[in-house]
This record gives sequence, C-alpha cells and structure tokens, in this order.
Amino acid sequence: MADEYEFEIKRKDESGKVYYSTYKVPKDKISTVLEGLLYIKENLDQSLSFRYSCRMEICGSCGMEIDGKPRMACSTIVEDLKKDHIKIEPLKHYKVIRDLVVDIDPFFDKYREVKPYIIRDDDGKYDKELPQTPEQFHEYANFAMCIKCGLCMAACPIEGSDPNYLGPAPLAAAWRYIADNRDQGAKYRVEVVDGEEGTSRCHFAGECTEVCPKGVDPSFAIQKLRRTALKIEIASIFGGR
Amino acid sequence: MVEVNKEMKEGITAWAKFYKKGMGYFAFAFHRLSGLVILFYLYLHYTVLSNLLRGQATYNAIVKSITYGPYDSFLVLDFLLALVIFYHGANGVRLALNEFGIGMYHHKALFITFEIIAMVLLGLFDYYALQFVGVGF
Ligand code: SF4
Ligand code: FES
Repeated sequence: MADEYEFEIKRKDESGKVYYSTYKVPKDKISTVLEGLLYIKENLDQSLSFRYSCRMEICGSCGMEIDGKPRMACSTIVEDLKKDHIKIEPLKHYKVIRDLVVDIDPFFDKYREVKPYIIRDDDGKYDKELPQTPEQFHEYANFAMCIKCGLCMAACPIEGSDPNYLGPAPLAAAWRYIADNRDQGAKYRVEVVDGEEGTSRCHFAGECTEVCPKGVDPSFAIQKLRRTALKIEIASIFGGR
Repeated sequence: MVEVNKEMKEGITAWAKFYKKGMGYFAFAFHRLSGLVILFYLYLHYTVLSNLLRGQATYNAIVKSITYGPYDSFLVLDFLLALVIFYHGANGVRLALNEFGIGMYHHKALFITFEIIAMVLLGLFDYYALQFVGVGF
C-alpha cells in the first residue's frame, strides 16, 4: 500500500474547458475527502474550487460525485473507499460553475414549488397553541432531517432524463409538511406534487434513499404522497375539498 | 413550473447506468429494459400475425417452421421472452402494491420474494412448454 492517495479531479475553468487534474495527498495528513481537497488547495493548487462550510454534514454544501456516487465530501472517510485512487467529479444533473462547484438554484426553485412551510386555513391567526404528540412528531421528523444537499437529485435517474421532474428532495419536503398535523396545506400542494412533473414521474428506483446522508428516505415519501394525492383527488370528486 | 437548466439533462441513457447502484435501481433499470423487450416482441408478434392475411396455409407454414424447424432455434428466444415477462410482471405487481402504500417498509424483501415466486413459475412454464413441443425429460 502506498502512503499517498491519488485524487483525480474533474475541472472546468472560466473558459468552459473541461479536464482532469491528479494530485498526490499524504495519507497521514487527511481523513475525509474534504480534508484531502483542503490539503490540495493549501499546498498544491490554489486554483481548485469547491464548496463547503460546516465540515460536519449539516450545511449541505459539499456534495460531489466521489468514486462514482454522490456523497458529502466532509463525511466521506477516504479509507472507507478502500482504494488509493479517488475520482472526484461535480454532482450530476447540475450546471457546473467551476471545478466542483455547481449551480443549485434550479434545485431550490423546485423546492419552493412545493410550498415548504406550514400552511393554515386561519392564516396563522390561531389564539391557542397547536399541540403535537410525540407520535404526531414522528410522522414527519425523519423527513425534516433534510439538509438540502441535493445528492438525491444527482442520484435520481429520472432527473437525468427529465430535468422538469420536481425530484426527490422537493417531494419529500411536500410530504414532510403534509404529514405535520399543524399543516392544512395538502390541498394546495397536491396540485403541484400530483401534476405532470410530480410523483407520477417517479419509478421507484430508490437511489435517492440510497445516497441520502441523513436517512431521509425520499422514495418512501413519494409513495406516501401518491396515496394522499389520490385520496384528496377522490374526495374532491365528491365535493370533499 | 420552474425554469430548469437544460445542462442538468444527462440524456436518455441516464437510467441505464446501474453500476454501483442499489437493488431498487437494478429492479428499475431491468424493469425498463424488459419493458422495451416486451414492446419489441409485441410488434414482432403483430408482424407474424399479419401473415394471416396471406392465407391460412402460409401462416401455418410459418408457425410450423419456427416451432418444429427449420427455424426452431427461435424457440430459445421464446424462453428468453418468458423470462423477461415473468420478471416484468412480478416487479410490476410489487410496484403497484407499493404505490398503493402496501409493503413500502419491506419493498426490497418484496422484490426478492416476488422474483423468486416468478422464477419458480417460469420453471414450471418452461417445463410444460417443452413438453408441449415434444421435448421430453
Ligand atoms: S433528501 Fe437527503 S439527499 Fe436529498 S437533499 Fe435532503 S438530505 Fe440531501
Ligand atoms: S461542509 Fe457542510 S455538509 Fe459538508
């Protein structure tokens, strides 16, 4: 075993030229992929661009394709990859701005589409507390763990062939609010999530769930949404909106 | 609908890359591939059936040639077709159940169970099909 890792990184410069750069990173100086990238930036090549902030899988900004899979650079231990040559590329299905930095605006635009906030029929003008039992909290708690890293959007094969598809994280967010007992906005969200570019586009490949660093399980949320949407649509036929 | 950047698009082959992916992805990719094979067969079937327009004798001669020779090697394709249909059908039932919210917590186990049942049924089907065309065991 060599005492250095080889980081092969896909680059894109300001002229749009795409190429690969390879760097040697000493094994005893780093533990995570992010530390490897920081080592390169500080010691080998200051021009390398990548996005990060919290270094602890909370801010959701360091997503990239590591060894052929979307992963968070800050929580991916290089040793766990069990190889010395690590290929790193920007996330798929996003426009690359520079090197490993991608434009995540379209992701957030889609996210906004599903109205990711509590909607109340009383416009929030309630005069007493809205109680929530632990059971009611656990109905949505898992889906509230999303850090908006967008890895699931890069892993989803439908996102790759139909960029208009809302995608796993926005749909999981729709379910997170619909499953919240304080929310009354399901009837508004259904129009978006049950539309042409919503849940019907999902073919349950489940890769979103496989890559999610927070265990959110968007593919599960999408199936739940389908059933809820069907119930609301049927109820609306019988005038039960 | 939000305006999306077309650079996000990976192309029609995005779904066919199941290397390093989970079991759900395998099920999904092969569901599509098997669907395409079934679609292709459907049109092939129509083409063969259309020979009925050329008269009963012609049609019977074609069917006989691909069942008992000289083109009976096509039978191998029939067995492959049966494999694809049994796979697609079993996964389709699993997907329909999941979409109605049934078995979502165990969708991988459900996939394996349904496929095992489908392959046992396929074995039985193949056995009786071979008996039918006169290949005894
Ligand atoms: S669902 Fe998971 S993978 Fe998708 S954006 Fe949220 S945390 Fe990231
Ligand atoms: S740096 Fe914040 S999630 Fe990785």
